[in-house]
Amino acid sequence: MSESPAWLRILSRSAAALLGGYAFSYAATACLARILPLSPADAVLVATLPAFICYTLAILWAFASRDALRAWVPLALAAPLMLIGFWPQALGWLA
Amino acid sequence: MKNTFTQSMAWLHTWAGLIFGWLLFAIFVTGTLAVFDKELNHWMQPEIPATEVSQADAATRAIAYLQTHEPNAGNWGISLPTERAPGLRVSTGDRRHGVGVQLDPQTGEPIAVRDSVGGNFFFRFHFTLDLPRNWGIFVVGALALVMLAGLITGIVIHKKIFKEFFTFRPDKGQRSWLDFHNASAVLLLPFHLMITYTGLVIFMLIYIPAGVDALFEGDTRAYFQAQGNARMEQPRRLAKQPGELVDVAPLLAQAQARLGPIGGLNIRNPNTAGARIEIRPVLGNRIALTKGNAMVFDGVSGKLLSDVPELRPAPLTQRVMAGLHFAQFGGYPMRWLYFICGLVSCAMIASGLVLFCVKRGRKYANANADASARRWYRVAEVCNVGFIAGLLLACVGLLWASRLLPAELAHREAWEVRSFFGLWLLALLHAGVRPAKRAWIEQLALSALLCAGLGVLGMLAGAADSLRIGVEVTGLVLGLGLALAAWRVAHPKPAPVRARRQVEAQA
Repeated sequence: MSESPAWLRILSRSAAALLGGYAFSYAATACLARILPLSPADAVLVATLPAFICYTLAILWAFASRDALRAWVPLALAAPLMLIGFWPQALGWLA
Repeated sequence: MKNTFTQSMAWLHTWAGLIFGWLLFAIFVTGTLAVFDKELNHWMQPEIPATEVSQADAATRAIAYLQTHEPNAGNWGISLPTERAPGLRVSTGDRRHGVGVQLDPQTGEPIAVRDSVGGNFFFRFHFTLDLPRNWGIFVVGALALVMLAGLITGIVIHKKIFKEFFTFRPDKGQRSWLDFHNASAVLLLPFHLMITYTGLVIFMLIYIPAGVDALFEGDTRAYFQAQGNARMEQPRRLAKQPGELVDVAPLLAQAQARLGPIGGLNIRNPNTAGARIEIRPVLGNRIALTKGNAMVFDGVSGKLLSDVPELRPAPLTQRVMAGLHFAQFGGYPMRWLYFICGLVSCAMIASGLVLFCVKRGRKYANANADASARRWYRVAEVCNVGFIAGLLLACVGLLWASRLLPAELAHREAWEVRSFFGLWLLALLHAGVRPAKRAWIEQLALSALLCAGLGVLGMLAGAADSLRIGVEVTGLVLGLGLALAAWRVAHPKPAPVRARRQVEAQA
């Protein structure tokens, strides 16, 4: 990655921060809403309140990680979290 | 991005701060002004009298007016005179698209009031940047997220946070800008974090609807029903039979005893057997944001049909966070506290932007620097002037436009907004053609003059009351502050580096 021009590296990290961060906080919220032992209406609120902490951490991660590939880790983490958050829907699609 | 964590964070803080700082400054300035939105509304419409009339009398007069002029409307809206908004306004149609008339609370006669965007413009700009509502909410949300990241990276790179807590070295050029940026950020760090995070919480379900998508299959209506916010069924059949409206004065007293100061009421299906009277409190009787809460009475019998809901802990938490951002609770002392904290936030952002240029000035502003680097440095310089001093000019310019544009001008509100953006654009152009230092001085001085001169406009209109004089005195104080800033730019203390070199040369 060190040969690629500076603007491309910055663009990749910014995309990782914005898109990867959004996917990560969206998935984390869905997962948390699913596993919280609360009524659905309360779980939605309690799970969404800390979502922006996840997003901020993902942004920092995207710019702090050593290589450009690792900047996309939050996006990779989003997949299993999504699966937990949406498991009834996922089972529905499989069936 | 860089070798160490701190360096990466410093890089992110610098560049995200520069690129998004200009718009963040605009959001923070308009948000700070929006703390006094109602007072500015009142100032920008000098025809509205400030009279001491009880809300019950005002409501009776408003209903008498509506009975005469709009007896068959499906909905009557009445905004009652309050401590912060002495006007009496009636409207028909739904709340967002209704047509309204301003009444004299003492006589109940309509008064001709100029159309003005009022302080509401600052409120709306604060969360939409005057873009179409949904676009604006997302853009401002993204900017708030950048602000949050900026605050956290700022903490990370600020190594000696406790030592520098008490450090301020004035008149030392770049060092002073850094000290001021650090001090204003650290001293009010809880406020900066709170106001940014709670701002995101207000629209959190629009930004991240993950919970509703996962648990309610994305069905927002089902979610609101589960929250218990279902709208009350309107009695369609009864609304076709005529009925006589109950006297609202005792209902207002009952609602006031329960809710605290009242903001206004809605009467649905007036003059029918299905009439409903909804009485809503002013925002700020409690910390939790009570937007949309109302006590509903039967319009014929006066019986209480539905009370304001008691909030469960989870919704209460969200409402309290939203309320902390809206700053409607605690009366005027709290309002001033938010205003002053907001000013410090604005100064913190502005000093960071200025610091970017001050730090690089010696390197890029001289003739030896690379041409493209010099050009980019100039862009940053111009934007700094246009987005900081220029925005202040546009804000105070809007107040002047509200008083100076002819009252009978067609689409007057649109012209006010145009003068805001026109002034802002002119300030950017002016910054582009003038040397940076001159541009700073001229724009700051002009903003100072306009701020301090609000009182002159007040005297010309002759509609002075305590609210309007408060706006004008605040303008005078802010104007003096801006004048001081302009003077400091014009007469800088000799830079310490040069001073030391001179001493060395003499030795």
